[in-house]
Amino acid sequence: MRAWLAHRVEGLPVAAIVILVAALALYPLAATMPFWRHVVIMSMLYGAMGVAWNILGGLAGQVSFGHGLYFGVGAYTAAYCYTAFGLSPIVSLPMALAISTGASVLIGLPTFRLRGHYFVLASVFIMQSIYVLVSNWDRMGGAIGIEYPVYKAEGIADALWHGQFPDKLPYYYAALALFLLALGTFRAIQRSRFGMFLVAIREEQDAAHSLGVDVARYKLYALIASAAVTTLAGTFYAQYVLYVEPISTVSLLVSLEIGFIAILGGIGTLWGPALGAFVIVPTTELLRAYLSGRLALDMSRLADGGPLAWLEYYALGGGGNVDILVYGLVIMLIARFQPAGVLGFLRRID
Amino acid sequence: MLRVECLEVLYGDFQVLWDVSLAVREGEIVCLLGPNGAGKSTVMNATTALVPRRAGRVVFRGEDLAGVPTHEIVSRGLAHVLERRRLFPTLTVRQNLLLGGYNPSARGRRAESLAWVESMFPVLAERRNQLAGTLSGGQQQMVAIARGLMARPRLLMIDEPFLGLAPNVVDDILAMFERINGEGVALLFTEQNVQLALSLSHRGYLLESGRIVLEGAGREMLEHETVRHVYLGL
Repeated sequence: MRAWLAHRVEGLPVAAIVILVAALALYPLAATMPFWRHVVIMSMLYGAMGVAWNILGGLAGQVSFGHGLYFGVGAYTAAYCYTAFGLSPIVSLPMALAISTGASVLIGLPTFRLRGHYFVLASVFIMQSIYVLVSNWDRMGGAIGIEYPVYKAEGIADALWHGQFPDKLPYYYAALALFLLALGTFRAIQRSRFGMFLVAIREEQDAAHSLGVDVARYKLYALIASAAVTTLAGTFYAQYVLYVEPISTVSLLVSLEIGFIAILGGIGTLWGPALGAFVIVPTTELLRAYLSGRLALDMSRLADGGPLAWLEYYALGGGGNVDILVYGLVIMLIARFQPAGVLGFLRRID
Repeated sequence: MLRVECLEVLYGDFQVLWDVSLAVREGEIVCLLGPNGAGKSTVMNATTALVPRRAGRVVFRGEDLAGVPTHEIVSRGLAHVLERRRLFPTLTVRQNLLLGGYNPSARGRRAESLAWVESMFPVLAERRNQLAGTLSGGQQQMVAIARGLMARPRLLMIDEPFLGLAPNVVDDILAMFERINGEGVALLFTEQNVQLALSLSHRGYLLESGRIVLEGAGREMLEHETVRHVYLGL
């Protein structure tokens, strides 16, 4: 028993994993304030997406800044099916996964012929195009998006069917399940022959190809798996915030955030993206909550203020988006001092 | 066993190979010679469809390889060790070798193949768990060749096996060639050092600016006037 607990999974003892999962499971009992639960829900949501991104970006080495698309497929399918046809997310989820797989194939087949930077550029270009399309798609609410009608559920079964809960606790455990599912999927792929093929493709694509690895096929499988988990996260997100709009789903901004979490956390590693999410998401959420409001510019000062006030106005984006400034700074600091990612800091201590 | 007929290759509008034909028979060692930029690697890459062929045929063991993708060619018994080794640096020596043996025709015999290459080249067993990227150049070349053998090929094509290796390591690779050929595997390799290549090959081809300009038995070619004059400086 003790030997088993000391066994390490990618450097982390099983005992530590058990404690961490238990801590996550018990956390909402200690943190009863909705805000503190929300911070960890978002961390687990983005953690799941960072881990899913890492299947394609980390194992197969195909860096995509277009994963917002699959997040959006999950979110929009759930929101549209629910508001237009009253379909439960339980019913619409398989449809979302089918659309996500179809989109993966359509996008993957042509773009995986590109190498290196060109693949990254293609993903950015596709993401921006989709963003413009969805923003102008009236049926999907255009730039305004889709808002769920609030539903008062009677009983647990009814709430589950509608995917709406009056408080954050059920969402919390759904997010935890999603987070663990993403980690489990990554680990299973990492240890499989499939995972070894992906690493071979990442390191020397031509060599892998001439050794008999069907490069195009395995890249596509990696994308489908990565996209499926991201789509699942999208459906969860829609049911959680009950509001879906282009900028917070199918945007380059979200796509970059997903990729940054994995890259800054530790690309290609099991724990890196999960850790990255728990550093970056709370930082963003806390900054937004505590800084933005407080430093929001007093507009009256602009009237009599000199050039400094105007500088402040532009620097802070008018609305006092200090959180985004500090977020950028955090990213620069990590990239400067620990390019291996947040995980690298811990490794050094080790 | 391998016949390449009238091969033409273009990179964009730029033609690099003209009417290249060559053959390798069962159990032979054949070298493809030529200076830098002559198109030696391109001949190999076009043979295994890593670059598209504009014209010409590749026939291997009686089968036309037209339209056969790279990853399927290896399971027909034609393995290709790419120029500059192309190991997977963050994988161990053993993982690198195993990756060579996953094609459908070799998969069932992976453990046996591993034992086979490790018995032929004991250093691979000693370095089994070392990351491939941390090996010396010569050892990396050995892993690359052994990884090719894991596919259980009838013909092993090796692009520049001696590139950048110290003279004593070159001898190790030469010994490796003899052992591999002794196991009945035919070899086709590219090389710039004419003396070295021809002295160990049954036959050779000389490629200049994308055309085969000379072919013949190893010893005959060494005595050919052009070769002696241009390549051996005699």
